[in-house]
Amino acid sequence: MKNFDEFSKPEEYISPMDKHIRSVIRNWADKEVMPYRRKYDEDWKDHHIIEPAFDKLMGNSGIGLQKALFPPELGGWGIGQSDSAFTISCALAEEVGRADTAMAVAFMVTYWPLTTILVEPHVNWRLAKEFAPMFCNAEKAVFAANAMTEPQGGADIENLELTGGKTIRTVARLEGDEWVINGHKLWPTNSGGVAKLFVVPCTTKPGSTDLKDFAMIFVPAETKGVTQGGPYEKAGMAADKNSDIWFEDVRVPSWYRAHGPSMDAQIFREIIPWGLAASMGFMCGAMLNLYEILYDFVSTKTYKNKPLKEDDHIASIIGRIAGDIDICRILSYEAAKMGDRRNKPYGYPIYSDEVACKMRNLKDFVSDRAVDIFGKAMDVLGPYGADREYDIEKHWRDIKIIQLWMGGKQLCQMEAARYFFNCKTL
Amino acid sequence: MNKALDELFVYPKELVDEESKRVIHLVRQWADKEIISKRQEYRENYEKLFIETRKSLNLTIGLQRLTLPEEHGGFGWNNPANAPGIASILTEIGRADAAIGVAAAVKYTILAAITMAPNFDKALCDALAPVYCGEELKTFSLILPGMGNIGQDTPLFLGRSILASVEAESDGYVVNGKDLRPINSGAIADLFCVVCADKADKPCIALVPGDNANVVRGKTLLETGLNASSNADVSFNNVKIPKSYVISRQGVVEELYTWLNLLLGGVSVGTGMNFFEMVGDWSETRTIKGGYMMKENPLCASVLADVADEVFTSRLFLYDLAQTISKPNDWGQSGSQRVYTIAQVIGSKIQQNVMRAINRGLELMGSAGYSKEWHVEKHWRDIKTIQSYLCGVGAEAPVKMDTARFFFDCKDI
Ligand SMILES: Cc1cc2nc3c(=O)[nH]c(=O)nc-3n(C[C@H](O)[C@H](O)[C@H](O)COP(=O)(O)OP(=O)(O)OC[C@H]3O[C@@H](n4cnc5c(N)ncnc54)[C@H](O)[C@@H]3O)c2cc1C
Repeated sequence: MKNFDEFSKPEEYISPMDKHIRSVIRNWADKEVMPYRRKYDEDWKDHHIIEPAFDKLMGNSGIGLQKALFPPELGGWGIGQSDSAFTISCALAEEVGRADTAMAVAFMVTYWPLTTILVEPHVNWRLAKEFAPMFCNAEKAVFAANAMTEPQGGADIENLELTGGKTIRTVARLEGDEWVINGHKLWPTNSGGVAKLFVVPCTTKPGSTDLKDFAMIFVPAETKGVTQGGPYEKAGMAADKNSDIWFEDVRVPSWYRAHGPSMDAQIFREIIPWGLAASMGFMCGAMLNLYEILYDFVSTKTYKNKPLKEDDHIASIIGRIAGDIDICRILSYEAAKMGDRRNKPYGYPIYSDEVACKMRNLKDFVSDRAVDIFGKAMDVLGPYGADREYDIEKHWRDIKIIQLWMGGKQLCQMEAARYFFNCKTL
Repeated sequence: MNKALDELFVYPKELVDEESKRVIHLVRQWADKEIISKRQEYRENYEKLFIETRKSLNLTIGLQRLTLPEEHGGFGWNNPANAPGIASILTEIGRADAAIGVAAAVKYTILAAITMAPNFDKALCDALAPVYCGEELKTFSLILPGMGNIGQDTPLFLGRSILASVEAESDGYVVNGKDLRPINSGAIADLFCVVCADKADKPCIALVPGDNANVVRGKTLLETGLNASSNADVSFNNVKIPKSYVISRQGVVEELYTWLNLLLGGVSVGTGMNFFEMVGDWSETRTIKGGYMMKENPLCASVLADVADEVFTSRLFLYDLAQTISKPNDWGQSGSQRVYTIAQVIGSKIQQNVMRAINRGLELMGSAGYSKEWHVEKHWRDIKTIQSYLCGVGAEAPVKMDTARFFFDCKDI
């Protein structure tokens, strides 16, 4: 094999922009991130080293990726309207994730709330126009966040099918032409003072299971009554800040609601596949990087005075690792394509059970493989496995949370059972 | 959690005598009082408290002298029959902090080569005990054979490259080795135990005082876990040591592996038990599906069962190994091929089990498990670090080969 680009991806799925986007981002990653990423763990609180790299990726002073979803007439690149939006996102997630999955998360979560108003067929032009300048005219990185998780639990909120939103405690009340929001969220990527814009999944009627009462409301971070706590210290993912956010009588215009009763619940179901597809891309990126590092290691370190890779037993382990990477990549692109088929006659809407459940299932599978092969790769490195100099341990720490977020592994398992076996009570 | 840990994770109690139980109890009290009951403070002032708690364990309770013979001021746990007791101590320490556990495990492993019957080396003990097991806290570091580098043809210990050498010179030995990676504490160790090859490429061990000017330490490594142990690569540039500091009896390297597997197994079982306690608390207070207690959900309960199962069986494995070591008349000395192989099989199984227990348990803890505030993520990182070190080369390749060699009489692997 020539290099890590040879890992399989269904070529017929690949967007025409793929090659170009990859080369630009790879350049950025090799120059701005790879040489510094070992220092990121100590920079978790301040982002002194991390922030300039984000600026070069997302802001107009650099590649300008933060505007990519916006329509060209608003200053963006129109990816939200593209038939390949998911596949391009997968490539972006992979390339940035190869360098640092936390950066990939922080960057792509900026798209996450925006997908609700910028992706065909649900473009909300008024909101798109409202927020376009924030992202399209900025020299520096500007982030957004999707604030779903609450102190009592994140899984239940993502499990709308079962709970119907009744566990949500963040409440929006319509007063005249304003929403007044009160509540407490935890953990959103890009909280801790980073995001300029939140989308806040909430309820207009506490305890209700009627999905008409579920709302997604945009809240600019500087709005009066929004307070973000300091970032949490975590096992990994230093380039992503997470914190508490309190909403106390926060007032925003009534038209900041993404789409309105019922449609917001559908849109919420639609953002889940985006998160899942991107999660798979992050892990594939990390796995591609694992392969690069492992290749060097097993070629230069020896067992019985032969390169590790020439020992039959060790070869079987590293062969399996590479094989798994290949399979995971194919699956990730299949998931992305499932998203991109949403508007095609033979596809399913991304809010459908078919897409939600199959994607959760794929993400669960890829996460498990990733957790497993990173652990194995550390073992192949033996006394060097835990050493930061080799970067594999960093990915190992980072990717574990990808297995756990978005409602957790068990929710994925339940959704798969529900779909494949028509379970009624789970 | 309303049941005592020992009632849940049962083990053959008869393997540990009453006197040992008293010491073990003391260590549990130390763990609860000094670390477990104040995890937040311990985390926030880790570097300082790591040293202070190590001191209180090693000097106040006196565990630094645990495996020294009584005539050297020790507890006299220097007989293989003490293996279950020593493993229990490591479990108690590991429950509090795996990094303190690893430091103790390595120290007892090295001392086992010197003090353990029937190979008690009085002269060496006379020379080392006052300096390294006295009134000051001293740290030992172990350097095992492992991976080689391409282009180097090294002597081998059962497939593993021996990167250090000893050569006799006048009345002592000279030790050489470049950029060697210890198991622990390379940056701060007071005494190194290094597996070396002699002139005939035969493996032996050399004890190298850390204050020798020709011991050169690399920069302190940043690692996944166990960072308080301050590891670093070490080079020995013509380091002269007394003759008695080299031990070359048949099977001495195997002895090191046997004890290390037992004692690191003890540490990991302890860490696994504490993880079990934490995930247990979480599962009793967290609700899912709109208000059901997590542990009452059958799927979550099955994950919890995996956690308990892995820790429970690991503890049984641990005592099985301890018992095997404690009965040399039945199974052979700790350096025999049988005991050495069994130790590796069980040692690796324990690490895998505990790692799986933590990985599974983390699934239930969502973001809390990932946040430092909840303390479980430290256990996850620490155990992975221990496991990677113990793997040695290529994901346990040598362990697999040792196992196949013993059970199937393979000749060429
Ligand atoms: C780095 C990072 C980034 C994050 N980014 C975001 C973000 O951008 N936005 C956001 O809103 N949140 C974010 N989160 C939070 C994350 O998505 C949640 O932690 C996750 O959804 C799980 O929620 P929880 O931790 O509250 O666990 P809980 O909801 O308490 O669930 C815990 C566990 O219970 C079990 N469980 C739950 N439901 C069921 C069920 N029905 N059946 C069986 N078992 C079940 C699962 O094992 C689950 O893992 C992030 C977290 C981290 C660490």
